[in-house]
This record gives sequence, C-alpha cells and structure tokens, in this order.
Amino acid sequence: MSMEGKTRRITIDPISRLEGHGKIEIFLDESGNVERAYFQVPELRGFEKFMEGRPAEEMPQITSRICGVCPTAHHMASTKALDALYQVDPPPVAKKIRELFYSTFMVEDHALHFYFLGGPDFVVGPSAPPQERNVLGVIAKVGVEVGQKVIAMRRKLREILAAVGGKPVHPVLGLPGGVAKRITPEVQKQIQAVAAEAIGFAQFTLEIFHDVVLQNTDYVNLILSDVFTHRTYYMGLVDQDNRVNFYDGWIRVVSPDGKEWARFKAHQYLEVVAEHVEPWSYVKFCYLKPIGWKGFIDGADSGVYCVAPLARLNASEGMATPLAQEAYREFYATLGGKPVHHTLANHWARVVELLYAAERMRELADDPELTDPHVRTLPTATPREGVGAVEAPRGTLIHHYQTDERGIIQKANLIVATQNNAARIAMSVEKAAKGLITGHHIPEGILNMVEMAFRAYDPCHACATHSLPGNMPLFIRVRDPKGNTVATLRRDFDGSIHRDA
Amino acid sequence: MDRGGHGGVHQEGEALVEVGGSDARIRILCLGNDLLADDAFGPAVGKELRRSIPEDVEVITTQAAGFNLLEEILGATYLLVIDTILTGRNPPGKVLILRAEDVQVVPGNSPHSVGLFETLELGRRVCLPVPEETVILAVEAADCTTLGGSMDPRVRAAIPAVVRLAREIVHGWRKGTVRTAHA
Repeated sequence: MSMEGKTRRITIDPISRLEGHGKIEIFLDESGNVERAYFQVPELRGFEKFMEGRPAEEMPQITSRICGVCPTAHHMASTKALDALYQVDPPPVAKKIRELFYSTFMVEDHALHFYFLGGPDFVVGPSAPPQERNVLGVIAKVGVEVGQKVIAMRRKLREILAAVGGKPVHPVLGLPGGVAKRITPEVQKQIQAVAAEAIGFAQFTLEIFHDVVLQNTDYVNLILSDVFTHRTYYMGLVDQDNRVNFYDGWIRVVSPDGKEWARFKAHQYLEVVAEHVEPWSYVKFCYLKPIGWKGFIDGADSGVYCVAPLARLNASEGMATPLAQEAYREFYATLGGKPVHHTLANHWARVVELLYAAERMRELADDPELTDPHVRTLPTATPREGVGAVEAPRGTLIHHYQTDERGIIQKANLIVATQNNAARIAMSVEKAAKGLITGHHIPEGILNMVEMAFRAYDPCHACATHSLPGNMPLFIRVRDPKGNTVATLRRDFDGSIHRDA
Repeated sequence: MDRGGHGGVHQEGEALVEVGGSDARIRILCLGNDLLADDAFGPAVGKELRRSIPEDVEVITTQAAGFNLLEEILGATYLLVIDTILTGRNPPGKVLILRAEDVQVVPGNSPHSVGLFETLELGRRVCLPVPEETVILAVEAADCTTLGGSMDPRVRAAIPAVVRLAREIVHGWRKGTVRTAHA
C-alpha cells in the first residue's frame, strides 16, 4: 500500500477471476519449459480509503478487527503508531505490560502454527498421503495427550490475554501513551504460573522437533533442498544488542552473506522499503529501496528481502534469554552457520522463538515494577504523523498514519508481513513450478509443493481468514509463449480437482 | 466479539469446556467481519436472530476463524453456524445447508487456517465436548475482501431466508431436546 496514494488500475483476465482462489499463472518457453510463474492470492482491498477520515485513536481497535489471523499484532503496531503520532512516551510499566501481553500472544500463536498449521508438513511428513497431512494426522502422530496439552496451554495463555488485554482475540489494551489497565498482584501471580508452564511447554516442543524432524533424514534433506532455498536479504526487529525483539527496537536488515546492511528506527522505513507493483497482482511487493527492484531474483544485487522467524534469527545476533540462545546456537550449528537460506527452516526458527517468547514472558512477569498503577502518560501534543512497528508472528508489521490537528486520519499506510515476503513467496512458487512442470502436464504434486512453500512463511491472506473453505482453492494455468492457455488445474474449496488440457 | 444476551453467560475468553447441567445446549455461531463487504452477512443474521430466537438459545457473533473457533464450539450440544462461502459455483445469495458430518475433512488446508470442520474433528479426537450435531447455513458471497464495502444486494436479500431457516432448525432441535428429556 503506497503512502503517495498512487492508484493503479490492474486488469485481470476475467476468465481467471475465480473469486477466492489463489492463482498461479505459468508461462512456458518455446521448448515447453517453465519460463515464469506468477502466484497471486486474494487480498484485502481498500484499506487506506477505509481508514481516511476516521479518528486515529480508533485504529488499534479497527485494524485489529480487520484481520482475523493476527489482530493482536495490528493492535500493538497501531498503539505504537499512536504513541509516535501524539509524541508521547509511555511510562516504563506500560511498555512492560504491552511486551508481556505481546510475548504471551507470540507463545500462543507460534504454538498454534507449529502443531496445527505447519505440523501437517513436518510432524506428519511431506510425503505422507494427502488424507493424513492435516491437523488430525498431527494428533495421530504425536498422540492425544500432546493434543490435549497444546489445547490446555493455549487456553491458559488466552486467559492471560483476557486478564491483561480485556479480550483474548481483539484486545482493548493499548492507548496512546500507555495501556488501559494496570496489572494487579493477583493477575501477576497468575501470569507467573502460566509463564513457567509455557517455558516447559516450549522446551517440550523443541524436543518434539528434535525427535520427529531432526531425527528424520528425509525431512532434513527437504529443509536443505534447493527448491526451498533462496539467498535474499533478511529483516527483523532487534534490541540495542542486536538480539531478537518482538515489541520494540531497531529494524535490522542483513545481506545474503549475513552482514548488517541497514539498522534503522520504524519512522525511517520509507527510506529503506519501497513497493513494487506487478500487473498480475493486487499485492505490492516490498523491496529494499536503495538497491531497487531487479525482479524476482536472489542475491545481493536484488532488493528482495524477507521477514518471519527465519529472517528474524538471521537479522539478529542472538536471543536475549538463555534457553532460546542455546537453541539459536544449535540451529545455526546444525544448518551450517549464518545466515540460513532454507525457507522450511522457518518451522525450526519458530520453535526457537517460542522458547524466547515464553522466557521473556516470565522475565516480565517477575518484574517487581509490573504492578505499578501508573500505566499511562496522557498525550498533550498536537498529532501530525506517526509510525509504529512490531514483529508480528509472520514478520515485521508497520503502521503509518498522517492526521490533521484533530487526529483525523488523512493518510494511512500499512506494510504487513506477507507483503514483505510476497516477492520471495512468488520466487518459491516459481521454483516449485520449474521443478515439476514441463510441457502441458500439471502434476497434482505441485499443489503440495506450493502450499509447503508458503505455509513455511505462515502468510496472512484474505482467503485464509475464512473458516469455511476446507481447502485453499487454487487455480493453475499454463500458457504457451503466445499467451494461449494450454492446460489448467483447479482445486476447489471442497478439495475436488478439475482439469482442462 | 459480541455475545447474545440469551443464555450468553460466558465471558469472552472463558473456556466453554465445563458444561453445567444435563440440558442440551443450542448455540448459533454467526461468523464474519462486518467491515468486509459480504462477510458482514453472519453478523447481520445474528442481529436479526437475537430479536426472535428463544431465550435458551445462545447467539454468538464472532470474526474469529479456524482454530480460534474451538472455544466457541465447545460445550454446545447442537451448533448452528452462519457464514459466507466462496465456491465460485453458485450465484451470490444462494443458501447452502451443510452438515459437518457430510463434509469430508480434506487435507492441505488453506495456508493459514485450520477449518471449522477440522477444528470440530480435532476437538472430538482429543475428547473435548464438541457438539453432537453441527449444521452450517452458508450463503454464497460475491466479495469478502473489500474493506468498508457494502453487502451485495443478492447476499443481503438472503438474510430473511437464513433467519427463517435458522429458526426452523433450532425449533427442530428444541423439540428433539424436549423428547429426549422426557424419554
């Protein structure tokens, strides 16, 4: 989404406008090999227009209601943008409450992804029959007790989110300059207990990852395979010592050879991040502005970068808590040093972060200042412009608002995690297509490869906010060099496959 | 999230695992986001239903999706879900009646979500109190991705029919409940 308010009409071939379907357009060269593949998913539209004219103070609630997937991340990024907009520095305890709340959310979200969303690919296995590669297959593999443990842990974490944030799903915690509610000594005790349990849970999860994934040569080979490898830049939020931080700090970018390439504050993001538009997609592809858009290609000369757990680990120099730091060390020792370019390593990186989030939760829960009732600094300045950034579970999330002197939004811009990853996801899909497609035949295996590629990033697509479709509907079309359709493959929401050749 | 006044005794975030009493509990779950064009359908039906549904029926409106619905489905004996669906096969506004039992749990889920059916099955496998019967009333939508967009007139026009169907289904369950109670 562009801050300049540029609008560009994008025409999409009406035949390919299957609403709700992710679409892959594949172009063949003269000899019938894949030349280019384009991947496109339904995206939310009209965001800036929707926000304009509304009071900025409503944004933490409204933006969290837009997304059914990570509302807490939007709530927090928006709250921080309001701090900047009203030029107000929250009292230390308010920052701690926010970070504690956010760490709890990260534990919950990462656990959910590891077991239930990514699990089908890794815990059950990439080559398992399709009917087992789902969350039920995960339960069958790890056992009912583990399933119960995950659900019980999640329930306790949600109780903390409700106790601190007002509501577990759409919080009402953040205000410009602080938070809405103090933490009582009773709630602090409750959080301490759950945090201790969360650390044990995260350690147990790391053991499962060891037992199920790392002990299996096939999985490790898959992580290391070329089809899921891209040498790009990596972005993530770090603290003053360049350690991973989800709530605040500097946005750090490292190059494909792991060297620091940029380190900046959220309000400087427009100097570093730009958005590229392609005629075939609504998605704007983020790239590093000083390098420029060079296309969907790897390497130091291309502005393509990515975010999410693997990128955060690559962009940092370590973890700020002891158990997570040990897991971080092992991650790089096993995968051949920094940076790691294997997309599927995101699943492991997510477990390292799960451990960090749980440890950080306990550190903050034990903080004697946590029950301080002074949780807000009242804003007095005239609002003008503010930028806020956090690390969403899926990667760096930036909210940017410009208002009039009454705090009414004139312009808004959001850079969401999936936009940061959009170019690299497209590259992964193209690589999968090149490996699997020659001529006019589209093997069904491509559906799995494509899904594994983007599930690792844990992307947030509009289509994914819907509960009813059982399958992500996908439409694949192969065109010859003249642009004529030579074959299509469509999978509908009910899993049915339809072909045309 | 907005919980109906009728029997909506749970605070948000409270796990609905412990079900008090032996009475059958009927819950209507209206899914959707009122900011997203046709996705506002579920909440709109929820609003209508609150005016006209018996007091012992819970009406819950939520925009939670996938696995986040687990807490919302637990503890009900009968569950009616109101939602939009994008199959691309029907004209917008077409109402589909689906039974969880009839829908095959399919693998390779959307990149980000565990679907409602998988969530139900997951709950069952790990021995949580999932509904004995789940019916979904889904209306074919035209657009669920435009923020601030208004509902397609054909989708909006389906509200009265879905409200009527919901009442009939609930009525059937209540009759069944009474019979069971006397048996």
